[in-house]
Amino acid sequence: MPDTSTLLSPQLLAKLEKMELISRKIFRGRMKGERRSPRKGQSVEFADFRNYVAGDDLRFVDWNTYARLDKLFLKLFLEEEDLHFYALIDNSGSMDFGTPSKLQYACQLAAALGFIGLIRGDRVRIEPLDQSPTSAAPVFRGRQSLWRMLDHIEAISPGATVPLSEGVKNFCLRNSGKGIVVLISDLMDKSGYEAALRYLVSRDLDVYLVQVLSAEELDPDIQGDLRLVDCEDGDEAEVSVSRVLIDRYQKTLAAFIESARDFCTRRGIVYLLARNEVSVENLVTGYLRTRGLVR
Amino acid sequence: MFPELANMLSWWQWLVLGAIPPAIVALYFLKLKRQALEVPSTYLWHKSIEDLHVNSIWQRLRKNLLLLLQLLLLLLLALALLRPNWHGRKLSGDRFIFLIDNSASMQATDVPGSRLEEAKGKTLELIAEMKSGDVAMVVSFSDGARVGQSFTDNRARLRDAVKAVEPTQRSTSLREALKVASGLANPGRSSADSTDTQVAEALPAELFIISDGCFDAVEGFSLGNLKPTFVAIGRPEAANVAITAFSVRHSEADMELLQAFARLENCGQQDVTVSVELFLDDRLIDRDRQKIPARDAVPVTFDLGLVESGVLRMKVEHDDHLSLDNEAWVVLKPPRRARVLLITSGNEPLQWVLETDSASEVGALRIEPPEFLEDKQYAAGAANGSYDLVIYDRCSPKEVPRANTLFVGSLPPDGKWSAGAEVGSLQIIDIAASHPLMQWIDLGDVIIAAGKPLQPPPGATVLIDSDVGPMAAIGPREAFEDIVLGFTIVDEHADEDGRVGKYFSTNLPFRIAFTVFALNLFDYLSGSDALGQSGFRPGSTVELDGATPRAKFRVRTPAGRKVGGETDKLGKLHFAETDELGVYGVNCGGKKFHPFAVNLFDTAESDIVFDLNRKGDPIVNIGYVELAGQAGWTPARREIWQLLLGLGLAVLLLEWYIYNRRVYM
Repeated sequence: MPDTSTLLSPQLLAKLEKMELISRKIFRGRMKGERRSPRKGQSVEFADFRNYVAGDDLRFVDWNTYARLDKLFLKLFLEEEDLHFYALIDNSGSMDFGTPSKLQYACQLAAALGFIGLIRGDRVRIEPLDQSPTSAAPVFRGRQSLWRMLDHIEAISPGATVPLSEGVKNFCLRNSGKGIVVLISDLMDKSGYEAALRYLVSRDLDVYLVQVLSAEELDPDIQGDLRLVDCEDGDEAEVSVSRVLIDRYQKTLAAFIESARDFCTRRGIVYLLARNEVSVENLVTGYLRTRGLVR
Repeated sequence: MFPELANMLSWWQWLVLGAIPPAIVALYFLKLKRQALEVPSTYLWHKSIEDLHVNSIWQRLRKNLLLLLQLLLLLLLALALLRPNWHGRKLSGDRFIFLIDNSASMQATDVPGSRLEEAKGKTLELIAEMKSGDVAMVVSFSDGARVGQSFTDNRARLRDAVKAVEPTQRSTSLREALKVASGLANPGRSSADSTDTQVAEALPAELFIISDGCFDAVEGFSLGNLKPTFVAIGRPEAANVAITAFSVRHSEADMELLQAFARLENCGQQDVTVSVELFLDDRLIDRDRQKIPARDAVPVTFDLGLVESGVLRMKVEHDDHLSLDNEAWVVLKPPRRARVLLITSGNEPLQWVLETDSASEVGALRIEPPEFLEDKQYAAGAANGSYDLVIYDRCSPKEVPRANTLFVGSLPPDGKWSAGAEVGSLQIIDIAASHPLMQWIDLGDVIIAAGKPLQPPPGATVLIDSDVGPMAAIGPREAFEDIVLGFTIVDEHADEDGRVGKYFSTNLPFRIAFTVFALNLFDYLSGSDALGQSGFRPGSTVELDGATPRAKFRVRTPAGRKVGGETDKLGKLHFAETDELGVYGVNCGGKKFHPFAVNLFDTAESDIVFDLNRKGDPIVNIGYVELAGQAGWTPARREIWQLLLGLGLAVLLLEWYIYNRRVYM
């Protein structure tokens, strides 16, 4: 087992090796993968027989059956194909908060899911939100690509100034393939997250949304008269922290989360709220498994 | 009651202080210097603040709570600097004695209610000022002192004792109350004698004399450990017209006719004209108008004519502040000639002088020889008090009679009197000129040939003193008095020829003093001056003679109260409940007895305007110490700056709490 970076611990890798990504939709893979496809194809696993029709590949004729029955039958095998797995990481300024930072958490999660995809022979592409519209990120395939993938992930730095909807739109334009897309973001975009999700849904992708929030956001521990400065646009909010205000903030936050969850549920998007305190291992082996992303 | 303010700051300091509130407000209007904090997004915060700003007026108020608290704190500090205060009194010390005057003058109404009510009110105020643990006693005083409540720290009991003080119509004697008060403060010694050794620990006390000061100076009293304070009750502009004397005499011109004399005193500061009415048995018989200058007195005379008996009442019609002394009563007894018994073997000068016209009008003289002393008639008369005066000339009875006596050249038989050997050629060196018996008597040229110096019993008064000893003295005996002359007037002895003859032992009979002495004797001892007896003082014990011994009697007071009692074995009637002014009816043994009158007749009580010192403060004198009214107060300001500062501190704490907890915003 190669020494992994800070993103994935050996213990986590050991657990992840036994997992695989599941898509709720049927996608045609471009290459043969290790995934059994519902479609019949060329593999070693027998599926069924069917009558020979003109033009069928003679290589798949079951000559033993022909010798016995004097009829031409074609042997059908289960097709094994690969899967497109996309992880879209929101690397805006707001993600650079928390311990560990939300961005780091998002990278870890993307790395874990990407690793599962790699060992199952899926096509893995991990992109930050501010990926250039013209140059797509590299595609990783196969276990041997792990290092490259991790390097790629670690290169993602915070500070993207692209709005969420803009970043998602560019992602959709770059990637035409169908598959699973996991958007990892805190959704803290003043222009809203709805347009971004609509783009993803319109591409008929199997969309997962992981909203990462830090403990400081969920349960702010601040006091006094403060001038809160938005790290992305420098917007300021003057508050005198009080119990009432804290209560009001938490109500607002709860309403925000609930509205996001509701939005996703209505559109077939699997929504998951992740606190940066919950380890990626727990998230993947626990929450994501119950939500059906991995098996 | 509005507080007074004591300015603690100069004008420029006030300017600085006054500039602070605008500065605080200005600072609040300026942006609060807030600490910057970078957050992932202000998105949710903005939304939260917008929600909170829905009820913004209330929010603004809440937001400004700290400002309001700071302004309040500043206001409290400024108030504290102004030192609001009330004029108050402060009781210093921990032991207090409240002497409440309830004498007659305290019924004056120059203050709301009466002076006594005000005195009680002031005392209650003083009790309210007492600190926890302080002890006090309450003493009410008039002519005597009464301890209403001994030392206690129970204020309820002190208050009850004060409320229980009742007005009296008695005169004032502060000395009694001072003695009671000094008992604990100056233990082990009398107030007069400072040589006594002290036997107990002295407990100094604050002495409050709550009085109108209508009494004479208390002389020769040492307050010792008592710290006196005179709380003056009453007003200087009080007005009062009083009858300070009222009596009835025979007219000088005609002894058959009676005259009523009275003295009216104006104790106020204004001249007044009053109407004086005279009633006989409640029938108006005369009326007069008198102008009395301020602080002066006028005599009033009414001719009564031929009046045998009855009750005379004089009334002054004047609306003044003390009504007690506007009425006076005299009980006229039916005229009675004194019964005088002279027992002598022959004394012409004495007989002559007792049988003059003037003397016979006031007394009936009976002359008997010494043998009469053996007579049963004498014994009966001497025992039942048939005589007013018995004169023993050179003889002595076996027992002293129940009558006043005059022994000439002999001694009473009761053994209390004794005399030395006879001495010749005496020189009179002194007479008791102030004694009623010796009035208008001049013995300067009187020669006494021989006499025995007397040794009178204790309590006797020497009337004539000579170079060898007393020659005449008067001494009390039960209800009577004995006068003893150490010399004879006429004596019998044999001359050189052996003939017994009468000789004058003194030239007194040839002097006018002899006649005057005889009249004085009748007046003084025979009881003939009881004619216009103006009665007794309130609170004094009345002794009436001539009642049946050991008989029940009943006295009806002026208020209609009936008090019973029993006369003593000598037929004397003792009655002490003379608190009311007016005429007391007496019934003894079922028979109507002479009534008697109780009058105030006290200039000190009637003069309800107190003495003032040069500063115009009311004063009383105790043991040559002048006490000015309320001079002994410890004037204290009741200040509340400590309270204000405390409140300020509380506000500061509240602000600190709110700032830290942000309870409201």
